[in-house]
Amino acid sequence: MATANEPPTQSSDDENKGPLERWTHGVLTDPAKRDRLYRALFYVACGFFLVTTLFPFYWLLVLALTPNTQILAGDWEVTVPLVGAEVPFPTPQGFNVYAFVEVFQQVPFHLYVFNSFVLASVTTVIVIALASLAGYVFGRLEFPGRGLMMLAVLAVSYFPPAAFLIPLFDAFLGNAIVVPFLGIELFAPPRLVNTPGSMIMPFSALFLPLAIFILTTFYGQIPDGLEDAARVEGTTRLGALFRVIMPLSAPGVATAAVLTFIAVYNEYFFSSIMALQNEPNQWSPLVGGILSYQTQYTTDFNLMAAASIVGVLPMLILVVVAQEKIVSGLTDGALKE
Amino acid sequence: MARVTLDNVTKRYDDVVAVDDMNVEIEDGEFICLVGPSGCGKSTTMETIAGLTKPTEGTITVGETDVTNLPPKDRGVSMVFQNIALFPHMDVYENVSFGLRLRKYDKDEIDRRVEQAAEIVQLEGMLDREPTELSGGQQQRVAIARAIVREPAVFLMDEPLANLDAKLRVHMRTELQRLHKQLDTTIIYVTHDQAEAMTMSDRIAVINAGELQQIAPPLTCYNEPANRFVAGFIGSPSMNFVEGELTETGLVTDHFDLEFDVDGLDLETGSEVTMGVRPEDIYPAATAESLSSSSAVIDATTDVLEPMGDEIFVYLSLEDSQTATMTTEEASSASNQLLMSVDPDSTIEEDERVSVVLDRSKIHLFETRSGDALVHGIEDVTTAARGEATDRRAHAEIDSGGRSE
Repeated sequence: MATANEPPTQSSDDENKGPLERWTHGVLTDPAKRDRLYRALFYVACGFFLVTTLFPFYWLLVLALTPNTQILAGDWEVTVPLVGAEVPFPTPQGFNVYAFVEVFQQVPFHLYVFNSFVLASVTTVIVIALASLAGYVFGRLEFPGRGLMMLAVLAVSYFPPAAFLIPLFDAFLGNAIVVPFLGIELFAPPRLVNTPGSMIMPFSALFLPLAIFILTTFYGQIPDGLEDAARVEGTTRLGALFRVIMPLSAPGVATAAVLTFIAVYNEYFFSSIMALQNEPNQWSPLVGGILSYQTQYTTDFNLMAAASIVGVLPMLILVVVAQEKIVSGLTDGALKE
Repeated sequence: MARVTLDNVTKRYDDVVAVDDMNVEIEDGEFICLVGPSGCGKSTTMETIAGLTKPTEGTITVGETDVTNLPPKDRGVSMVFQNIALFPHMDVYENVSFGLRLRKYDKDEIDRRVEQAAEIVQLEGMLDREPTELSGGQQQRVAIARAIVREPAVFLMDEPLANLDAKLRVHMRTELQRLHKQLDTTIIYVTHDQAEAMTMSDRIAVINAGELQQIAPPLTCYNEPANRFVAGFIGSPSMNFVEGELTETGLVTDHFDLEFDVDGLDLETGSEVTMGVRPEDIYPAATAESLSSSSAVIDATTDVLEPMGDEIFVYLSLEDSQTATMTTEEASSASNQLLMSVDPDSTIEEDERVSVVLDRSKIHLFETRSGDALVHGIEDVTTAARGEATDRRAHAEIDSGGRSE
């Protein structure tokens, strides 16, 4: 009965309001209008994130395709005509696809990519294997001091990696370990600089805590019954871990593996020091390769950009593949408890 | 097929004793139920047999082998779990063949055994399904198939039917019994449901607070419970208990007396004794003729009726004042209440004065302090003279009972 009276009063209200006020009122009262607003906001937010994440890649592409002389000269035509106005937007000055070939001609860039890939793969395998054991222990077993040990492991991950650098470098050079002040030689470690060992060991140690933390959470959520069933059926505890608990924690394992892999693939700080020269046969990593386009007097920005794009590609493929695994793991892993 | 022996098995967690000095001998091919209330240690007992937990003390023998320190996989046991515990990342075939594949059987042998197991539990044609695509009962059957496919010496079942709905549970109960007949394997079955234990097992082991109370065939547990706990736990609804004091002529309680020859008991007069009687052993005085030995008449007021179809449960209040409505459990332990089951045709009303008698041959006496059973049935210790008196009174009550109808 109120409906008969309402439209006239509302319209008289509307007449007194400004357009913004009318619109806000409409959004608050009309669900269809509200949905439209939400959708619009979604696209705005989405667009914002896409632009901020993808623009650097576009900028790399612009730099790679622009000949280096033009990059150095500056003075670009950075505006494009858009809806009648000149909008500032960088576009490639020329189409120098040859840069992507030159990347490999000037420097054996593929070797640097290979180095980083091997370092990252081996580190990931070691980290996942060790973190699985630790995650099983922390996530599924009850023992005194568990919380304290977990805290200690996490505390290690908060240490700045630079703090380990000097003692490790000293040790990896093959110098004898000497008791401070007394001068007693304990043992002489093997000379590991310029070998993958000098990089994989510190990487594994540095990225283990995070992986342990992730896997502890995931392994702790697998029902005890499944592990018990596997053990009664004929596995050891270790067998149950690898045959039942790990496959069911696939999303967690994939997350830990991808994070570790990306972190090591991008790593430069440790490896630049452990590889004494920036040479691919001394296990210098990807970033070292990119930097080698810079000489004392010249910097090939276009080649550095092209090399960056080439270096990102394997990572891109890996993440896409792992993403599929993560999603399938999430949907398949519905546990009956 | 194998005997299973538990010798002084004790399991302690920090300060809690989950299993206390358990001694059980399970015969080859026997179906035995471990039954008790939640948290009584029955599942822990099962886990020590399976090898999932190590007992603090004691030894466990399967067949001729001392398995106390063996890992679960080397014990020759298989287990069905309460939460079913199918591996969600494997299909039915992979689930069932898991144990065989780990033991590196031939592909043909595995196929043959899986097919046979699937046939036994009626899962033909479902081997390529995922566990999530199956109903609860089917999942449970896959779990059973996984257990039987290895042809274990001993089958452990930890409340396998607890997560199924009531109708399916009764159906699976029958299937498990058929399975036992077919396989003739030792089965150890844990349940908190005394009805399951009664219907399925060769023997019941009643456990309370980690201690074995009684291990006997179901009907022995029912008719001759070893102590008050077993008497109260086995049977539904629960047995009525009335606390009283032993005198020279029998038992005196707050509301009625029982006369019997106390010489047969090894107790002094004045000792506290609890009388127990099952609901079906209480009769309205009017129908007491058929009893060979009925007790003195007890006057009571009916409180609440629970018609079950095949019988009616009547809550009797022995006091004049109306007591608040009680649940079955409360009623059985309150000494001013009795629960009686009567014929469904009985015309009995709420808040009605009735006279009831107890079947003296079915009265159990327990020592109140220890809970140990003293005698089952007190008709034998009655003297002839007292029997006469009871007869006369019983006749008198039949008349009055007739009036009330």
